[in-house]
Amino acid sequence: AAFGLYFPRKEYSENVYIDQPAGTPLLRIHALRDSHGEVAHFHLCQNLIISRARSHENHWFQIREKTGLLYLSKSLDREDFSMLSVGNWMPLSKVMLYVFLSSHPFQENECDSATRTTVFLSLINATAPACSSLTARQLCFTEMDLSFHIKENKPPGTFHQLQLPSIHHLCQNLSISYKLLAAEGMPFRYNENTTGVSVTQRLDREERERYELIAKCTVREGFREMQVEVPFLVNVLDEDDSPPFLPNGTDTADAVVEFNRKEGTVLATLTVYDADTTPIYPLESSRKKYTGTIITDDPWISETFRVEHIFDEIHFSPNGSQVRGTQHEYKLVLNKSISVTEHRFFQLDVLVNDTEFHGPKRSVMLHFNVSILPVSIQFPNMTYQFTVNRNAERFAQIGKICIENCMKFRGVNITYKLLAPNISCYPVSILQGREDKYGSLYVNDSSVLRRPECKEIQYTIQATDKQSRKHTKTLLTIVLEGTLLKKEEDCPDSCAVSKHHAECEECGGLGVLTGRCQWRQGSGKGITTNYSTCTPSIKTCPDGICDVIESRDLAVCPQDCTSGNIIGGHGKGAGNLGIKSGHGICYCFPRQNCYCEKDDIKEQLCDDVCKTVI
Amino acid sequence: LAGPPSPAGQDPHGWRVDCVRANELCAAEPSCSSRYRTLRQCLAGRDRNTMLANKECQVALEVLQESPLYDCRCKRGMKKELQCLQIYWSIHLGLTEGEEFYEASPYEPVTSRLSDIFRLASIFSGMDPATNSKSNHCLDAAKACNLNDNCKRLRSGYISTCSKEISASEHCSRRKCHKALRQFFDRVPSEYTYRLLFCSCKDQACAERRRQTIVPSCSYEDKEKPNCLDLRNTCRTDHLCRSRLADFHTNCQATFQSLTSCPGDNYQACLGSYAGLIGFDMTPNYIDASTTSITISPWCSCKGSGNMEEECEKFLRDFTENPCLRKTLPHPLSSPCPIPTGVHPPHKYLLPPGNAIQAFGNGTDVNLSP
Repeated sequence: AAFGLYFPRKEYSENVYIDQPAGTPLLRIHALRDSHGEVAHFHLCQNLIISRARSHENHWFQIREKTGLLYLSKSLDREDFSMLSVGNWMPLSKVMLYVFLSSHPFQENECDSATRTTVFLSLINATAPACSSLTARQLCFTEMDLSFHIKENKPPGTFHQLQLPSIHHLCQNLSISYKLLAAEGMPFRYNENTTGVSVTQRLDREERERYELIAKCTVREGFREMQVEVPFLVNVLDEDDSPPFLPNGTDTADAVVEFNRKEGTVLATLTVYDADTTPIYPLESSRKKYTGTIITDDPWISETFRVEHIFDEIHFSPNGSQVRGTQHEYKLVLNKSISVTEHRFFQLDVLVNDTEFHGPKRSVMLHFNVSILPVSIQFPNMTYQFTVNRNAERFAQIGKICIENCMKFRGVNITYKLLAPNISCYPVSILQGREDKYGSLYVNDSSVLRRPECKEIQYTIQATDKQSRKHTKTLLTIVLEGTLLKKEEDCPDSCAVSKHHAECEECGGLGVLTGRCQWRQGSGKGITTNYSTCTPSIKTCPDGICDVIESRDLAVCPQDCTSGNIIGGHGKGAGNLGIKSGHGICYCFPRQNCYCEKDDIKEQLCDDVCKTVI
Repeated sequence: LAGPPSPAGQDPHGWRVDCVRANELCAAEPSCSSRYRTLRQCLAGRDRNTMLANKECQVALEVLQESPLYDCRCKRGMKKELQCLQIYWSIHLGLTEGEEFYEASPYEPVTSRLSDIFRLASIFSGMDPATNSKSNHCLDAAKACNLNDNCKRLRSGYISTCSKEISASEHCSRRKCHKALRQFFDRVPSEYTYRLLFCSCKDQACAERRRQTIVPSCSYEDKEKPNCLDLRNTCRTDHLCRSRLADFHTNCQATFQSLTSCPGDNYQACLGSYAGLIGFDMTPNYIDASTTSITISPWCSCKGSGNMEEECEKFLRDFTENPCLRKTLPHPLSSPCPIPTGVHPPHKYLLPPGNAIQAFGNGTDVNLSP
């Protein structure tokens, strides 16, 4: 077996005083074994670490190789103290020593064994205190918590000595005795003669991972008696000794590919449990320990799918006490976008392997029933018909064009195109945003609307799937209606410029549908998304989205699209575009500033609720 | 016997030179500069064991122990702070290979006492209706900041940066927000910044304002909570974050050996190190708007720690249950738990238990120097 001796704690501490005589014992270090028959050898590396970068040769401290007793081999005088204090920034000087552990006697200068523990020695700039001046707490325990870790599945052994060797040496006339409380039924034993605490049996972390005991100390001096109790904690360290298992035996899941065909789509998830813990860092190494591999010879399958593994800590309660375990999730993910024509059914197997577990059943097989359905590129049965008012202005939004299920599509790129109409009337065009799944119809040439010979115009719309080049067509009819209104003079070309209800509805502007701007009356108090404003169409502006038509000309809907200054109380929209919320009435001069202000200045002052917002 | 090593790296006032200056001194000396180059190459491999085994590396280390580079430190907010820290860690990194739980601070110790700030704070409190029971100290702190051009400019700077929405999916630019916060805490005098950060509160609106000081939705919270040890590793890969964390551990690490449980009873140093962490991966904040119990934490948890759970919790407790940072010391006379004692006589527990944030918030003068 591999070398498996280990320290049950990472750090030890003790105080060292000026002129303590050589031979003074300081503290006792223990080691636990990995297998029977191992013998621990302790060793000090011959330098003291004073501060992070500074070290000094160790002339004062030694350790008994067999027993782990650290003692003073030479007393520290005042000059030693001042020398060791150089470079110490803390108010209290501390030096650090590494103690190494080996299963064989140490060779000269061997101080790079992997197993080591740290001893912190606080250098107290005074001679050793009189026993009578020490509190019971100081006589009984060090400042460090009594907290230990023991590996599961390892042989029993002694891992701590409650008696402090330095105090025992210093205060021989005091009677100091210990007890371990709350230990009934627990796998620990206290030996009164040696004050040693040992673990009596192999521990199993999956059964219990934390033991909380109490160490009680009684100090007797003549007729006086003092007692101190401190927590005594044992954490059980985990090793990979449990195989993976399936919750409720579920090893199969359906994975359907239909409208969502985009790379990165999660199709299905299967869960595997493990009673062992899995550290989430370093993440990559934990992922490597628990693998999920697609079992296939088909290169198309291995190119098109991948398995993503995430894991999370969960809690089990095997017998009342909670222990941590791991939930592994294996997600079947599309590795590339799938063409709309693809049509297949098959079973995809994923082998999950707990690589560090050495027993049987270290792996489980997961099954995904994959169905890839083709989707058709077609318009709904009807033909499109839109009515457009003859007074509509350029960039007026007429309607949306969308193939069947187009809003459900992901990873399918459909482009819409208008094919030339039969006559010379071309008032409308189609536009499509970069991410849009639909096409937006808008007035491109408003002068055509005014021509009497243009009444009903027929277009053909074509939708094409970019990847498969599949396309479909339908008819679109535009009916022009309404009588021409006389244009008001002195009207701005943008509705957003109007600040008042009346002037707004008197004028038209870019994007209006019926020749007149529309007024949106806000109702909210303070800064609200429902601010008052003048817009070409309440349906599309402001709606918080600077759509593809609005972005063609800033004068259409600066409320959604402005990137300039907004003066007055306001909140900006996503990507710093537009006015998401405003105070009172918001109006804009396109390509210049926007203003949000209250018409009547009868606002109440900022109250307490208002003040808590930065 | 020989005294301390030659004070070549110390200035006449007894302090070490900063690492930028030490680097210049070393570069002027051929033996030092060549050893320094060697050591840097040794440490570049990042493998401590190989480094210790290499004779040339060991010699370089020994020679450099006598050079000003060995004891050099940096100052918070100094010119070329990053360069200084890079020099510091180029020597210190790899010596212990990140195994150390607490690292020593590369910064010079803060010597000024908190009483100086209280003196300044009291100037402001004269302007406030402080006796009013409804007074909101956090609001007063914001008002005081707005009356100072520098404070106002940098505060509105970080607030607008941290609340600027980038796109529907990206709530804000965390990187820019952190940078703006660092500028605020580095360049605005602490009498303004500490008042904002550590104001005391009697009601929830005030405590919420205090929690909101650093715009936590951008600078603090994230979609997922990483593991604290993982976060510490991330922080330690960055020289500035690593230094600020080491500084926090040096100045706020609770100790039983001082009256206030802060190292050297130096509240100022602890508050400064706390504020110094804001704007880095390890940014701490109040976890809620509670007025009674102040709990501070970086954005991380100990979930998924595996066998390192004990260490993770110890790390997290230095924020969440740090008696130097907050009032958690149990009262000695009624406490059912044993009070660990240090070298001081136990009567110290009869004094009010101290903590940096509350002491500051209360406006208590805590000049406890003997």
